[in-house]
Order: sequence, then structure tokens, then C-alpha cells
Amino acid sequence: MKKIVDWFDERIQTREIKETLFDRKIPKGVGWIYALGSASLFLLILQAVTGILLAMSYSAAPDHAYASVQYITEQIPMGAIIRGLHKWGASFMVIVVTLHMIRVYFMGAYKFPRELTWVLGVLIWLVVIGFGFTGYLLPWDQKGYWATMVGANLAGQAPFIGEAASKVLRGGEALGAITLTRFYAIHVLVLPASLLTLVGLHLFLVVRQGISAPPERDKGERS
Amino acid sequence: MMESWKERALARYQELKKLGKSFFPYIIYKDTVVVFLIFVVVLGLAIVKGAELEEVADPTDTTYNPRPEWYFLFLFQALKYVPGSLEAVAAIILPSLVILLMILLPFIDRGPRRHPFDRPLLTILGIVAIVGFIGLTVVGLESPLLNPVVHKDPQVMAGRKLYADLKCSYCHSINGRGGVAGPDLTTVGSRRERDWFVQHFQSPQRVTPGSVMPRLNLLPEEVDELVAYMMTLGGGGGPFTPKAPHLFQDHCESCHRLDGKGGEIGPDLTTLRTYRDKGFIYGYIQDPKPFNPETSMPGFKGTLTDPEIEDLSRYLLSSKREKK
Repeated sequence: MKKIVDWFDERIQTREIKETLFDRKIPKGVGWIYALGSASLFLLILQAVTGILLAMSYSAAPDHAYASVQYITEQIPMGAIIRGLHKWGASFMVIVVTLHMIRVYFMGAYKFPRELTWVLGVLIWLVVIGFGFTGYLLPWDQKGYWATMVGANLAGQAPFIGEAASKVLRGGEALGAITLTRFYAIHVLVLPASLLTLVGLHLFLVVRQGISAPPERDKGERS
Repeated sequence: MMESWKERALARYQELKKLGKSFFPYIIYKDTVVVFLIFVVVLGLAIVKGAELEEVADPTDTTYNPRPEWYFLFLFQALKYVPGSLEAVAAIILPSLVILLMILLPFIDRGPRRHPFDRPLLTILGIVAIVGFIGLTVVGLESPLLNPVVHKDPQVMAGRKLYADLKCSYCHSINGRGGVAGPDLTTVGSRRERDWFVQHFQSPQRVTPGSVMPRLNLLPEEVDELVAYMMTLGGGGGPFTPKAPHLFQDHCESCHRLDGKGGEIGPDLTTLRTYRDKGFIYGYIQDPKPFNPETSMPGFKGTLTDPEIEDLSRYLLSSKREKK
């Protein structure tokens, strides 16, 4: 075992990586509420794993989507649980990421030197919402179809670009086959690629700069 | 040159870091506990509640009550309080502005003060936003559905499915969806009688000489299902519930005559559907004054719920009241 570790360490200095990641000092006072970030990361992994499993049996065509979801739920071993995990995991993802953001907001942790981490975080939050919106349509049931209809119509209300945005979203005038493939492509290609990039940068900054310390009262000293 | 407070902030951070513990195992331990708890809850919900699957999407179903995913519900609810002309502002411009401000937050709120009590304005703003979100979501969850929930006749549902399976829409259209080779069926239920449909589906040429519609060779029960579906195509505002006639009796009949029964104080409403649309009728029942300042009719907003007014409007628009 030690030999293997040494072999890697001689080549890519794994001990340095371990020191940076695991032995780094966390400032005094960091409490339970700081775990929300790690919880978001865990939910991301849960969504990725269950999402990949679902994608293996899902068909993104209006004629087959509903039946394929039924097939997943009823025929595939553990299929109902995998769908359940993905669905509830999505809701929890929104909740936990939002709570994480609320924590940072009230603690003023977005301030110098962590401005970029915050900006990336807001973008991650938007991507998570995008996942929710596109994923809702995929089962092609009444709920998803009509909620998407409302969403696309609302997007159409935007000044100047509304008409075009709504058209691009739907892939045409009506909500149909192209909308479904488009939402699927966004859900499994565009958003995951964006999310991984953003989360990678976000985490790089967190490790590089260190987790913010809890805020302290201003003692009246002026800068 | 770095401002002095920034240098002090960085120095203080180094101090606190020296006092702190290492990420492994202390922080990892807390993370693991929290992650484990969340996973247990998610797994529990996945097993107990699962992921529901409603009926397959039906683009022609105008009676469905759209409901967004719960975290969009607050926006959905907020839009109900906004007049139509401002909808774009409330639905798109305002949320976009909020998101933009969120992104720019660290560049707007600068300086050394981090504690929530040292930033009272932002702290209050944050609390107001959270309370507003929760409040609107709760109201949204409790608010009545706009479309009355109509009990779906299984025979009609079977007919609707047959209509799709037989690809009738290649030639016929309903509510503007479908082909143009055959007649438009949007209001066919109010134009034809049951017997006509039965004969028509047995042999189109018998009732319509020269028709190019193919014979469908249906089983008798399939004919019944298809006829049941055709009979629901009455134009109008959509199906009404069995409560609608009673609503009319209780609230309208003392003044209005309908299908030969009722009071004489207000106008006869029997043929209202031929010259008024649902938007008008719905608005008029809610509050007639904007439409007709002279009227002595009271507004029913408050007396009746929105779904009841919707139900009544559909009842008045229906061409098949008397047959029920």
C-alpha cells in the first residue's frame, strides 16, 4: 500500500494534494451551517448518477417519452426508486443550494476577497433552476406539458427578445417534438457541462482562498 | 495599493485559521453527518412518495390546471396580483433585475462590514424576500384551481383515445389543431344528434353521400365511445360540473330566464352564447359595472369563488344544457 502511494507521490506529488485538500486549516467558528455547500455537492453527484441511470432507458420523443418513463417506473429493477431519488433530489438541490446562498448572504461572506466565488455561485443557482425547468417536461405528462407551456408563454412576454426567446425554447411556434428533444439536450448536455465548469471553478476558489470565517461585529474602526 | 481594511481582513483571517482545526477529519465529519441526513430524507421520500406520473400530455385538453414546480409557484402567485398590462414587468423584467443585482451584490455592498447587524438594510431586505417567498408559496398552494375539476367520463376518454389512434386529426381539426381535408369538428357536438353520429361511424356515405371518409369498421362499443367524445365538442368554454345548474338556480334564476325558466328582471340568457365570449361573461359575473354602469345586477366576486364563476360561464356558454 505504502509502495503504491509512494509511486504516485514521486510522480504527481499526491502528498501535496492531500495537504492542500485535507490538512488545510479551517478558521475558528465554522459550524454546522457551513455543511450546506458540501451537501449541495453531494446532491449534484446523486443527481448525476440517478440522471445517467434514467437516461439509459429514456426516449426523448413525444410518442415514446411517456411510455419509457412508465417502463422505467414499472419494469426496471429499482426504477421507481431511482426516479424518486432524482425527483426529490432535484427539489432538495434547489432548497440546499438556496440555503447555502442565504447563509453566504447574511454572513456577508461574498465580500472581499470572495466576490468571484459569489458570482459563480449565483450562476450555479441559475443553472440548477434551469435543470428543474427543463427536467419537468421530460416525462411528457400533463403536469410537465402545461407547466412548460406557461413557462414558455411567460418567456414570450419579455420585451424585444421575448418572441424569439420563446421560439428558441420551443423550437418553433408550438410545444411539441422539437421542444422535447431540445429540453432533453439542454438538460443532459448543456446544463451538466455548464454546471461542472462552474462548480469546478467555485470549488477551486473555495480551496484556494479558504472557507470564510464567521462574521465579526464591526468595532467602529473606520478604514 | 491595497486599502488598509483589506489587509486587516486578510490578517484577521490568518489568525482565525491558525486557531481553527484541519478540514480532515473535523469538517469532513460535520459534512458527512449532514449529507447522510439529507440522503436519508431524500431516499425516504423517494420510497414513500415516489415520483408521480400524471396522464400523458394532451395538447387539446383546455381544462387542465397548469401548476408549476413548487419553487416557481411564488412567481405564478405574484402574477395574479399584477394587472395584465404589467405582466411582462412582473414576470420577466423584475426577476431579471433581481438576478442581476444578486450577481453584482459584492460590487455594490463593499467595505469591511460583514456582520448582519452591521448591514441592517441588506439584512432586512433578505428577511423580507424570504418571508415574501414563503408567503406567496403558501398562498399559491392553497389558492383554488381556476378551472373547475371536471369528472372525466371514461367513455369520453376512450373516445378521445380512439380519435388519436385512428389518426382522425390527419383530416379533421379541433380547436385549430389538425388537417383540413375533412370538416372542422370544433363545434360538431352542438350541430349533430347522437343517431346521426352512430350512422355516420357505421357508414359515412349513408348520411353524407359522396363523402370521401373511409369506413372505420368499428366495434359497436367503439362507436359509442367515439360518439360520446364527439358529443362533448360543443364549442363553448369547456365542460361544466353538475353543480353549475344549481349555481344558476341559486344566484341567477330569480332575475334571469334561461331555456324558458326564470325571472324577468334581467335579460334572457338562453342565447347568450351566440354573441358573447367567455372572457366577457366571466368578467361580467365578477363585476358588471365596468361593462354596463346602468345595471342593477350585483357583482359576484366574493359571493362566488373564481372556479364557480368559471363553471357558471361555461354553463351559460354550453349548447347542451337542456339535454343534460
